Amino acid sequence: MNDDKTIVCRCEDIDIETIRKLIDQGVTSLEEIKRITRCGMGPCQGKTCGPVIAREIAMKTGQPMEEILSPRSRPPFGGVLFQEVLEGIDDEE
Amino acid sequence: MKNKASVVIVGGGITGTSTAFSLAKRGVKDIVLIEREGLASGATGRCGAGIRQQWGTFQNCLLARESMKVFENFQEVLGTDIDIELKQKGYLLLAYSEKEMDQFRRNVEVQHQLDIPSRLVSCREAKEIVPFLNTEKMLGGAFCPTDGHANPFLATKAYAKAAERLGVEILMKTEVKAITVVNDRIKGVHTSQGFIETDKVVNAAGGWSAQIGEMAGLHLPVYSERHEILVTEPVNPIMDPMVMSFSYNIYCQQTPHGSFIMGYGPQNEPRGYNVNATWQFLETMARKAAWLLPPLKNMRIVRQWAGLYNMSPDRQPIVCESEIVKGFFMGIGFSGHGFMIAPAVGTLLADLITGSPLTWDVVLDLGRYDRHETIAEPSVV
Amino acid sequence: MITCDLLVIGGGPAGISAAVAAGKAGLKVLLLEERERLGGQLTKQTHRFFGSVAERAGTRGIAIIKDLETVVAQLENVEISLSTTALGIYEDGVSTALKSGKMIKIKPKAIVVATGAFEKFLPFENNDLPGVYGAGAVQTLMNIYGVLPARRILMIGSGNIGLIVSYQLVQAGAEVVGVIEASPKIGGYLVHASKIRRLGIPIYPSCTIKKAFGQDRVVGAELVRLDEKWKEIPGSQFTVDCDAICLAVGLNPLIDLLGQSGCQFKYIPELGGQVPIRDESMRTNVPHLYIAGDLSSIEEATAALLEGELAGLSAAKQIRPGQSLEARMEEVKTHLRALRSGPVGEKIRSGLSKLTGEALPTPSPRTNAIDELSRTGIASPANLAGVLPDEKRKKTRAYAVIECYQQIPCDPCVHNCPFGAIKPFSDINDLPIVDFDLCTGCGQCIGRCPGLAIFTVDETRDGDRAKITLPYEFLPKPVREETVDLLDRSGKCVGQGVVKSVLNTPKQDKTTIVTVEIHRNLVQDVRQIRVVQKS
Repeated sequence: MNDDKTIVCRCEDIDIETIRKLIDQGVTSLEEIKRITRCGMGPCQGKTCGPVIAREIAMKTGQPMEEILSPRSRPPFGGVLFQEVLEGIDDEE
Repeated sequence: MKNKASVVIVGGGITGTSTAFSLAKRGVKDIVLIEREGLASGATGRCGAGIRQQWGTFQNCLLARESMKVFENFQEVLGTDIDIELKQKGYLLLAYSEKEMDQFRRNVEVQHQLDIPSRLVSCREAKEIVPFLNTEKMLGGAFCPTDGHANPFLATKAYAKAAERLGVEILMKTEVKAITVVNDRIKGVHTSQGFIETDKVVNAAGGWSAQIGEMAGLHLPVYSERHEILVTEPVNPIMDPMVMSFSYNIYCQQTPHGSFIMGYGPQNEPRGYNVNATWQFLETMARKAAWLLPPLKNMRIVRQWAGLYNMSPDRQPIVCESEIVKGFFMGIGFSGHGFMIAPAVGTLLADLITGSPLTWDVVLDLGRYDRHETIAEPSVV
Repeated sequence: MITCDLLVIGGGPAGISAAVAAGKAGLKVLLLEERERLGGQLTKQTHRFFGSVAERAGTRGIAIIKDLETVVAQLENVEISLSTTALGIYEDGVSTALKSGKMIKIKPKAIVVATGAFEKFLPFENNDLPGVYGAGAVQTLMNIYGVLPARRILMIGSGNIGLIVSYQLVQAGAEVVGVIEASPKIGGYLVHASKIRRLGIPIYPSCTIKKAFGQDRVVGAELVRLDEKWKEIPGSQFTVDCDAICLAVGLNPLIDLLGQSGCQFKYIPELGGQVPIRDESMRTNVPHLYIAGDLSSIEEATAALLEGELAGLSAAKQIRPGQSLEARMEEVKTHLRALRSGPVGEKIRSGLSKLTGEALPTPSPRTNAIDELSRTGIASPANLAGVLPDEKRKKTRAYAVIECYQQIPCDPCVHNCPFGAIKPFSDINDLPIVDFDLCTGCGQCIGRCPGLAIFTVDETRDGDRAKITLPYEFLPKPVREETVDLLDRSGKCVGQGVVKSVLNTPKQDKTTIVTVEIHRNLVQDVRQIRVVQKS
């Protein structure tokens, strides 16, 4: 697993080398990595890449996983169309 | 960590980092910037990230235009290779009444004094700019093609990196616990990492700036208010400018990545620090967006969140040194447009801190409220 | 706005169990399930469950869900909303969900969140090639949609999911080229490991994947051995050909919905990662918010069923006080403690102690009796010698050989012997001990063992012929007087035998019981048969 081509975030197509370079530059929080690379902003919202990146950060910085993995709170989970939101309102009116 | 600093900047958002950079560039040494969480973790990283020059007062137009000049030449000005993803595809402002149209007309005149290339547009022209715009009830609008959007996180990071290169020490995950004031002068800052002796503090704490003021014994006339925002899944580029209406109360922009980002100004939002998202926002936003930009109906909302607007009495920034506590500087109360004018604000704070004359002739001091000289900016969401 | 007493999010074992418990206690319950039918992971679990007979051990997951569906359907005050995806839980107590193209709003008095878990991902080169699957996806394709995802599969991970899905892949007609495991020991139940070893599937402990080969799809993989410090051993790379790589490297609790509920979390790797903080009655720190199942800790479905019931009862107790629910709640807690009490529950116990801040539990006594079995999935001669009767008894009557050497929480064998020959357990984690004075070798126990670890041997006849009876879950089924290949514990063909009986009534529930006449020297070697394909 020491090759640049290893994909970490399948949603946004981010490889592990990009992540490791950022950590080496001192970008050592999931939130910062997310905002720089878009890792975790795709359809799965970081479910797959989050733990993998957290482990990379933990390995490189020695930070405990608990501190790295702060739960995010960004609904709507799985996404919803504007139309679907509107249909829900119309239904009640 | 330094235990002595010439200036301690509180807040690692766009204002704090821009100030750190401006100060360091003028040769000020021993600057420490303190950030409780991470860079841009407050309002900067949560904002809509629009950059607008179409303001109604000369002063705001000036700050915005000067800031846009920095954003346009960001890599050169900062000596950075970070691309802040600046997109200049304009702001399209919509008018729904003669009164609003008249205001735009006056605004454009002010803007033209500063060579901001704005113009009034008819509904037909607006539709040429955004073909799927619903122009029902609309009388016309204003458009400035050089307004735009940038990535706030990358801009903050670039400022921080440039500042660090010039010697600024940036402390993340460090919280200010207390500020020592003796005889109305700043003496130091107690942080979660220890005490820093200093005679100058910059309050760039955004949503939490009132609390930083309290630590220095100052009651600053600002408060925080939750503003919500959402983002959709990315699609092919279909909308160039930021579409905005003050009266219909909406802003909506397609980012270079393809996602749409949008929000509106909340009504009756209580003051406070709550940044939870609400389901009511989704409903109101969906109604507004689907009516104004019908194709959005079929787009998927993937995330919603909220951030804090730091509101001032006249909804305009407060950039000054306290008249009560010497050495206490502030860049606060941006009321939702801190990002777009941060480069200019950094310059102004550097002027104030180094005791230089202000680069631009603007009045943003706290004393304006006592003098009853509030800024009457007509064009805000 | 829809109102109800209790909103249950997630219609898997934990969620259904919560809805049933709360429904029986008189609550108006709304149960949301994302898919078009209830059951969650149970709908793909074609294997028999471990655990206690009291919690339906010995029954297949797909049968358990049918029972649960019937029970929940009879409760008039429980409304089931299928094809409904929860979108958010908001600070005002309102939950939103997507149903029939509409975002609906629900305001319940309490919520049980039972959203389960999602599969962990593994970074390796070319892991984005088509043909790299999660084990859950493979199971869904095979067991729900009847689609075989590939022909030659490499399984990554030897936990129960990796082992079970490997077995099911072979049942579906695929070949599993190997199961690799980064740890020096097999992660899942060893009876599952033995099941796949005797099908000839190799298990590689201390081994990980480096890269997948292929341009447009997976054609193979490069593997590497790991040393005792989990570091790659240089030069130890080897390659395998395969057309799919199946990841079964563990699960993370799906906590997203709780993100802005105010619920607090703790990172406890033993429980699966970031988990909500909760008490023994499944209450979180947020009033009226309960959790159950894999969301609270990654465990077997039996634990999910029990936790769900507990959460449902807790909610009922809070919303409708005055009912005597405590007795059952205590009973459920006792069952859960028993389930987690053995050696395989040690990880969960230590995770739970971190959650509650209690002192770490005393570790179970260690023996090295199953060290070899844990590495290979193959019982050692010493293991076997410990479960056989003496030579005299072997001659007098047929007898059962229970190849169950690892303490796991499971007891169907004890309850299914018509002669009471398997000694009663004092603890659900006890190993079965056969009283050969009572055992008749009738074979009733064979099909009831979830681990397919029971065989009966009849070597009472003179001459070189003996009979072995074993469980068989593949197609085509053998027929009487057919000659079949005899496989040993590693899947090696050690000879041929003639089928003497094939028992395949509804009572066997698809675990065919086959008796084969074989050479008497082979009775302790043969553990699997292979129907010889006629060309």
